[in-house]
Amino acid sequence: MDHHIAPPIPFILFFPLIGAVTIALLGPYADRRASGFVGTAAVFMSFVVTVWLAIVVWHLPIDQQATFTHSRFLGYWVDLPPYLVISFRMLVDPLSIVWMLIITGVGFLIHLYSVGYMAPDKNYRTFFAYMNLFVVAMLLVVMADNFLWLLVGWAGVGLASYLLIGFYYDRRSAVLAARKALIMNVIGDVGIMIAIFLMYAHFGSVAYQDVFSSLSRASVSSLNWIGVFLLVGAVAKSAQLPLQTWLPDAMEGPTPVSALIHAATMVTAGVYLVARAHPIYDHAPIAAGITAAIGGLTALFAATIGTVQYDIKRVLAYSTMSQIGYMMLAVGIGAYAAGAFHFVTHAFFKALLFMAAGIVIHNLSGEQDIRKMGGLAKRMPFAYWTFLAGTLAIAGIFPFAGFFSKDAVLDQALKLHHPWLQAAGTIAAFLTAFYMFRLLLLTFFTGAYRGAREPHHESPWTMTWPVAILAVLSLIGGWLVLPGHDLISGALAASFVDTRFGQFLGEFNWPLSIGTLVIAIAGITLAFALYELKSGAREWLRLRLAPVRALLMNAYYFDDVYHYALEMPSYALAGFFARYFERQAIGAIPRALAGLASFFAGISVGWETGYLRRYGLSIVVGVALLLAFYFFLTSAALGGR
Amino acid sequence: MPQVPLAGYLALASALFVIGAVGFLIRRNPLTMLMSIELMWNAGNLAFAAFARSFGDMSGQIFVFIVITVAAAEAAVALAIVVMVFRHRADVDVDEISVMRG
Repeated sequence: MDHHIAPPIPFILFFPLIGAVTIALLGPYADRRASGFVGTAAVFMSFVVTVWLAIVVWHLPIDQQATFTHSRFLGYWVDLPPYLVISFRMLVDPLSIVWMLIITGVGFLIHLYSVGYMAPDKNYRTFFAYMNLFVVAMLLVVMADNFLWLLVGWAGVGLASYLLIGFYYDRRSAVLAARKALIMNVIGDVGIMIAIFLMYAHFGSVAYQDVFSSLSRASVSSLNWIGVFLLVGAVAKSAQLPLQTWLPDAMEGPTPVSALIHAATMVTAGVYLVARAHPIYDHAPIAAGITAAIGGLTALFAATIGTVQYDIKRVLAYSTMSQIGYMMLAVGIGAYAAGAFHFVTHAFFKALLFMAAGIVIHNLSGEQDIRKMGGLAKRMPFAYWTFLAGTLAIAGIFPFAGFFSKDAVLDQALKLHHPWLQAAGTIAAFLTAFYMFRLLLLTFFTGAYRGAREPHHESPWTMTWPVAILAVLSLIGGWLVLPGHDLISGALAASFVDTRFGQFLGEFNWPLSIGTLVIAIAGITLAFALYELKSGAREWLRLRLAPVRALLMNAYYFDDVYHYALEMPSYALAGFFARYFERQAIGAIPRALAGLASFFAGISVGWETGYLRRYGLSIVVGVALLLAFYFFLTSAALGGR
Repeated sequence: MPQVPLAGYLALASALFVIGAVGFLIRRNPLTMLMSIELMWNAGNLAFAAFARSFGDMSGQIFVFIVITVAAAEAAVALAIVVMVFRHRADVDVDEISVMRG
């Protein structure tokens, strides 16, 4: 390996940026297939450079890995020494590289998949411009070296997410979902902004290096507040309690968008933020505790909702929420490597699940209701086998990826003395196995297809290959961490050198792993018992648990609570101000000004007769008066002398 | 040759100016009005030239040329307007052309 040729790091950002701009500006003049090609190729080139970079960095000694690219200086944004200096540098340490590999790698596969999936769509070009824009913004989040640039990327992914959720802009529900996502995300943006202000007040800088090296200047309670406000951003972006309600609605976007943004990458930005700001959380026990508690609660909460939903993408959305709950739990208790590991495997199997579901939806011309599906395993064997691989991975069945990463999280929870969180995670694991197999059975086995639309078309290779690759990765992705051999912690060691939680994921806790596996199999068995065997237990349960079921169907009524507690009062208040304050009080000022102007106009309009000779007379009389005045002045002056 | 005094030139210029001003005010034919304006221009010119001669300063003479140029431009624009108005209305009474009033 030649260490002297440095990879062109800025190009990782520039390729998709150029792609987005090119498609937006030149797309209409080229063949429509060109947009798909440019968008996909741009992300692929980013991926190639990222892999090159990863190889270079991971060949360095550990103490040089984190500082490898701190010299990549691209320019100043704010240059006001000694008050504030914000430069744009690319921060590329192992933590960012893990995220960059997933963003560009999985991102490339999803772009390729979109070439086939979006082919019939009339806004094909727009789609790829937005997708590339998203990749740029997401890379900016993980490559920024200070909190302000992170916020720029953070808002950028929010924008791309908004544009893509509302991609089918002629559907009212899609537009509403996009708006909801944007509002919730902006709550998070404001949280991060407040955290940035606090950091500037305490440390005089917002660069990671400066903040993390001068933490001792702030009290523990200040650090707790900074941590909590950063967490507001993380919670909003990662759809954790209590800002989770936008994610299920975000499934209105095209399925590749759900796979890329609302499963594999963007929603894990919150996990990245906490991991990136880990020096703060290490010194802010309350903020870290809240993070872990929110993660554990969300893992459990979302899993329960997933058990009753009927929309194939909504089930996957709740499972995403639940899995990100595991990651938040991990980074909250300080198990950063475990959180990052679960992020990697989750990106594989969740993107796989969405894309396999996308094949089903695509073949059924848009049908998403699993009550109408069934018996599709024979009609779509490819979708079935790949979906099965993803389901086994998320359910945590050995030797699929989820088994290793989920156990890493639960094992760390136990080792770091959080038995309650470990219990929540274990129950969520049982529920995950149950609802995922319920989904699999209802889609591919139980009954027969009852939809109105007949399955018709074959999927092109651009759709099947990415799914096949991700299916393989979902199988082998977990093998990064095997007993006594832990690539993830090793790779991330440089980023977490300073944390007080030393970890080695390769020490397996066999009783725990086997216990979780048994619990997962119990969940699968329950799913089989209820949905495959005609035992009548399902009807019995449905009657007995009707209130619980209604609670879960409505996602614990969060939407309704927000509607009545927040939305209605603010609408009422706005209506009051619009009707009375705006029109009566504020409106009076411009009305008075307009009245004044028209009053004077009414006076002067009489002078405008249009008769040329009258104007001439006015001029002559005026001149005569001026002359008389002048003579009067001079004679007075002369007479006074 | 007997010298005409400055006051004589100024008296003539005043007379010309008053004739022009009164003509502008009482005539309704735009061509006549233009001629009246022309009279006022030239009354001014005469005063300029007389003062220049009297004070031995050439700048008054030069200003006459400038006034002649501007007057020519004014006459061209005004005649063009008059021609257009005549084409549209077959009538050139300025009191009838008052549609532009506010």
